[in-house]
Amino acid sequence: MLKKVLYFSILAVFILGVNLFGQNIVGSAHDFSSDSWNTTGQICIVCHTTHNADVSVNDAPLWNHETTASSFTPYTSSTLDATAGQPDASSKLCLSCHDGTIAVDNFNGKTSGTHFLTGNPNVGTDLNDDHPVSITYDAALASADGGLYNPTTTNSGLGGTISEDLLIGNQVQCASCHDVHNGSGIDKLLRKSNNASALCLTCHDK
Amino acid sequence: MLSMAIYSQSIVNSKHNLSVSGPGDIKATSESEICIFCHTPHQSSPRKPLWNRQDPGSVYEIYNTSTTDASAGQPDGSSVLCLSCHDGTIALGDVLSRAQPIEFSGGISVMPPGTSNLTTNLSDDHPISFIYNSSLAASDGELVDPSALSAPVKLENQKMQCTSCHEPHDDTFGMFLVATRSNSELCLFCHQKNGWSLTQHNLSNATWNGSGNDPWFHTPYTTVAENACENCHTPHNAGQDSRLTNYQAEENNCLDCHNGNVAASDVQAEFAKIYRHRVYSYTLVHDPVEDALVQTRHVECVDCHNPHYSNSSSSFSPQASGALAGVRGVNSAGNSISIVQNEYELCYRCHADSPDKPGSPTTRQIAQNNVRLEFDPANPSFHPVESAGRNSNVPSLISPLSESSTIYCSDCHASDNTNISGPHGSVYPHILKFNYETGTRVSESFQSYRLCYECHDRNAIINRNDDFGQNVHRKHIVEEDIPCNQCHDPHGISSSQGTEANNTHLINFNTQIVQSTSGGLEFVDDGIFAGRCYLRCHGKNHNPESYN
Repeated sequence: MLKKVLYFSILAVFILGVNLFGQNIVGSAHDFSSDSWNTTGQICIVCHTTHNADVSVNDAPLWNHETTASSFTPYTSSTLDATAGQPDASSKLCLSCHDGTIAVDNFNGKTSGTHFLTGNPNVGTDLNDDHPVSITYDAALASADGGLYNPTTTNSGLGGTISEDLLIGNQVQCASCHDVHNGSGIDKLLRKSNNASALCLTCHDK
Repeated sequence: MLSMAIYSQSIVNSKHNLSVSGPGDIKATSESEICIFCHTPHQSSPRKPLWNRQDPGSVYEIYNTSTTDASAGQPDGSSVLCLSCHDGTIALGDVLSRAQPIEFSGGISVMPPGTSNLTTNLSDDHPISFIYNSSLAASDGELVDPSALSAPVKLENQKMQCTSCHEPHDDTFGMFLVATRSNSELCLFCHQKNGWSLTQHNLSNATWNGSGNDPWFHTPYTTVAENACENCHTPHNAGQDSRLTNYQAEENNCLDCHNGNVAASDVQAEFAKIYRHRVYSYTLVHDPVEDALVQTRHVECVDCHNPHYSNSSSSFSPQASGALAGVRGVNSAGNSISIVQNEYELCYRCHADSPDKPGSPTTRQIAQNNVRLEFDPANPSFHPVESAGRNSNVPSLISPLSESSTIYCSDCHASDNTNISGPHGSVYPHILKFNYETGTRVSESFQSYRLCYECHDRNAIINRNDDFGQNVHRKHIVEEDIPCNQCHDPHGISSSQGTEANNTHLINFNTQIVQSTSGGLEFVDDGIFAGRCYLRCHGKNHNPESYN
């Protein structure tokens, strides 16, 4: 029986990609349909709309939430070979709630929201204490660093290479580690289990 | 299984995997994450490198020594991060990203006592958090210029930190070192000791015979060459803080090997003899930066030997042998020199102008215990240590010695065991190599004055049918039982005190035996094998007695 489950799970990886365990956003930490501040009772609407979406952020997926205008302090370190600039692309969308400057209820045109993230989910605008995002992670970086796997040839454990499964346009973004739609069903919306630090060690050759 | 194969040299299989899957004894009871013990992806502190532990905030006792040109302050940079486990003050499982400390098996909280727990006393550990720049390298003189520092040793913002030697994620070389310790490869990236390439401590393949103390108790290596720096030094938890040596008592760092158990010569046995250089009597008196001219009396192995430099090259007098290579000294002019050329220059550190030098064993007409002045080639007579002697007619010399020969101090002052070089110890007084009787009356024999007879033919001394042999020497030393030492001062007579007329032939009477007569106390040189003596000895007056 267990073997069958494993078999189908592995099959599911190939067929369904991210939707590893048949989990989804419903009931996850990103399902705000029951929150008092979301009077629509809908799930997707907090971030997405089918029409008249905000296209100010590159490749924004039918965006429907007020977008952060913060100036961020990116992560820097003497041992960092990549250069992190201002967060862009999808990471900027995540930060539109998680930098703590935009109310989570500022969506669908509303700008007068009052519910701000606090505690751990609020990473702030100072990203110097956070894993760098919006950095290019390619074979050249891996070679320069010496402690990173080559993303174009290394298996992510999710079916393809790191580049294919975890990077977006060769960039590390929030979505490299986190699946906002909870496809894996793992705590903290992680894209892959971090048991035995498996998520960290997917890229970090330590 | 796949991940195990990939991570064969990674943190996953090292002791730094503190998770429940870790291979070491110190690990969590159930926490599965590995990186978490040090890193967190969000809300890190200190921010770099995404640190997940508290700053220990400890005040450390730091390494401090007379020979360090660097100024090490309190640990900073990444070293503080290492110390957040390795100073033993913070629970290993106390990470920022967990509300409760991660539980460790065996009830372990902080780092247990042992070699991994450096404690807050870092005075016995290699210094860290100091700026290592070109000026440091220049002032030290035996450090590689950091611009030439090759991988894998890295500095952090110009500073030497724990991570200069250790890569906490990779245990390929053991101890999470960035390079192997074999032949001290790691140490030598920075430390360039003068003379090291030729020293036996770098080259010898000698092994330990298994007796006595294990000289290499903190390494996995089995030859002198492999242990290299670690023959004597250890970078952490050293026995003697300031030198990072295995033991506090200086000589013990040498004698674990130089006792016949590794090195062939058993020098330890020499130091067990009644007459010896008293290396056991002093501890922490010697300082490598002390004046070459020793101010406070002491002696350690490293006063005479430079363990970074000594080698097996042989030499001819007066040149210093390889065993004395790279040691300081005082030259014939009384000036300190950084490297001796001649053996006597080493002896002059203590036995010449040193204010605390040993006294003379014999009370003489002309008192002098500064051997540099005694061996001065300008003297009316001297044993030929600095240069060939002045007497061109010494009929007793045994070939190949001649009037143009020079000798070492250690030709007379050395072990009675002729297999051991140098004046470490002897059963004979004054660390003499052979017997040398100096009593009031001594029955003459080869053994009585063997020290002298090794160079001066006994037969010539007592049997030559002339004023050198039978008429003077035989009369005194055979017929009257008078030791050589009563008339001869074996080192020499300083030109500032003695004269060409009275103190040739090393004549300087022992005034405890030889006294004045009405004509005074005097030897007068009257030419080859000719002279007069004014003295009184055992009631016999010479006033004068002449020979010619």
